Amino acid sequence: MSKPKVAFFDFACCEGCQLQVANMGESLLDVLGAIDVVEFREVMSEKWDQDFDVAIVEGSITTPHAIEKIKKIRERCKVLIAYGSCATIGGVNGMKNNFPLDKIREEVYGKDYKYFETVETRAVPQVVKVDYLVHGCPVYIPEFVNVLKAVLAGLPYQVPDHAVCVECKLNENVCVYEKGVTCLGPVTKAGCNSWCINNGNICYGCRGMVTNPNENGAKDVIEKYNVPMNLVRNKMNMYNQCREIDQSEQKKR
Amino acid sequence: MQYAVLKKEYLNEFITRLAQDQKVIAPVAKGYNQFAFEEVKSGEKVALDHIPTILPPKKYFMPQYETLATYHANSSQKMNPVVECEDLILFGVHTCDLAGIQCLNMVFSERPKDINYLIRKSKITIIGYGCNDYCDEYASCRLVHSHTPNGGYDLFFINLGDKFFVHINTLAGDEITEKTNLFEPATPADLNALAKIREKKREIFANEVPVVHERMPEMFSKSYDSNVWEDLGKRCLACGNCTNVCPTCYCFDVTDEPNLDLQTGKRFRRWDSCQNEAFAKVAGGESFRKERSARQRHRYFRKFKYPMEKFSRLFCTGCGRCSRTCMAKINLKETLNQLVEEQGMKNLKAGRETE
Repeated sequence: MSKPKVAFFDFACCEGCQLQVANMGESLLDVLGAIDVVEFREVMSEKWDQDFDVAIVEGSITTPHAIEKIKKIRERCKVLIAYGSCATIGGVNGMKNNFPLDKIREEVYGKDYKYFETVETRAVPQVVKVDYLVHGCPVYIPEFVNVLKAVLAGLPYQVPDHAVCVECKLNENVCVYEKGVTCLGPVTKAGCNSWCINNGNICYGCRGMVTNPNENGAKDVIEKYNVPMNLVRNKMNMYNQCREIDQSEQKKR
Repeated sequence: MQYAVLKKEYLNEFITRLAQDQKVIAPVAKGYNQFAFEEVKSGEKVALDHIPTILPPKKYFMPQYETLATYHANSSQKMNPVVECEDLILFGVHTCDLAGIQCLNMVFSERPKDINYLIRKSKITIIGYGCNDYCDEYASCRLVHSHTPNGGYDLFFINLGDKFFVHINTLAGDEITEKTNLFEPATPADLNALAKIREKKREIFANEVPVVHERMPEMFSKSYDSNVWEDLGKRCLACGNCTNVCPTCYCFDVTDEPNLDLQTGKRFRRWDSCQNEAFAKVAGGESFRKERSARQRHRYFRKFKYPMEKFSRLFCTGCGRCSRTCMAKINLKETLNQLVEEQGMKNLKAGRETE
């Protein structure tokens, strides 16, 4: 059996997730033993103009041009993996949606902004069908490899739908709320092995919210720990703004 | 000798000698009044009078992630069983956690026996430690009779001030006292001091919830449709903290993980929780416990009702971890008090008559 042809693409992002993959270390050899990378702008010059098996896409969709491009990628591949918060949930690019588009364009491009078309930020699954998601900013490499294995084996990959707290407790970290710091772990999807908290940081919610969060309960918790509401709103806004697109579309239905 | 004493100034040396041939695990301070069982090489870092550790010692009996078997696609269904374990000495295990280990022993000894658990257990030596006072306001160990030792240890230490009174309960415990060679026989004065400590404990530890211990399963049976669960469901974030830190929660999930060659791989289990969204979800997307209220009720019933019917034992050890760790401040004692009020089962004499 020949190795599946895999192409990496990027849209609006920092390309940090590609860097994570390129910087994987020794397990990169095993990964390259299992796949045939035909295009990967950050690490190779070659381009690929034929069909391929797997597209691995980083970044959010923010322009009409990007919409066309992602649709073409979708047509050319059998399996599409969105990886990194920008691609899976919109990520930090979602903050753009807090402002009128014209204001954003003027801020960035100055007086000639009309020449630069733009659209509100969307996550890749909000534009085309996505088969696998690898959340995270950046992606957590062990999870990336697990998803790749699922793709190769033709199996589904279930993103854990419970809180980061679950993995954080299993790692026996001191809860950062005990240290008087606010953390989005209780409402954020696990799967990262509480990577940030293990290393002394907090959870910024980069993996998106669990599908069934207790929003009123979370408000109670925030009140109890005396956390200003706008601080939490800003924290949620940082990665999860594109969630509103799904919510408003749900309302329309 | 069944009873011995160890002078406090020898504690450091005791741990150091133990750690020469074996891994010694003891509670260690992690800051912010949080503690964890970790490997120690001497007694310096050991925190004896600690509030219960973040995770109970169950993590040594059933680790958070545990490989059960490896496989190769060529050998069809045949798997190679794996038990990753080593000899361990757990030092400073409080009576609530001893009770927790006893509960797990019952569960995993049931047929079909859990071989991984039982092999690991056979390699663990336990040195218990008695609390002379409450660790904090979350504990309810008197309610479930786990404030005093009920076996389940090899050695047991009680703080007499300048020395530890030591009960030698097993051959393994006896071997430790001989090998470390730091213990002295207990004198009648030491036994007197012990009696005084016990008397004082009887004054300090009072039933935390005014209900007769034996009537709790009945109280829960009547409370299945109580509004108490609705209230908990509204507050609960389903973060799973309560079950992960519980010394008697043992639910796990088993997954096969292939290697990149897709030919070889391993089967492992990791802790799961009835509070997690996917726990009671089945094919088709239905969930048996979609509502957080039903999940919280299930958790309480798994402590106070179901195990009483199956094992004639409450599976709450009164350690208070679930209340301490809860993001939403769901408090076990508060919930029990609400149920007691609601069911008219208040009995202020409860727990005093048996002393």
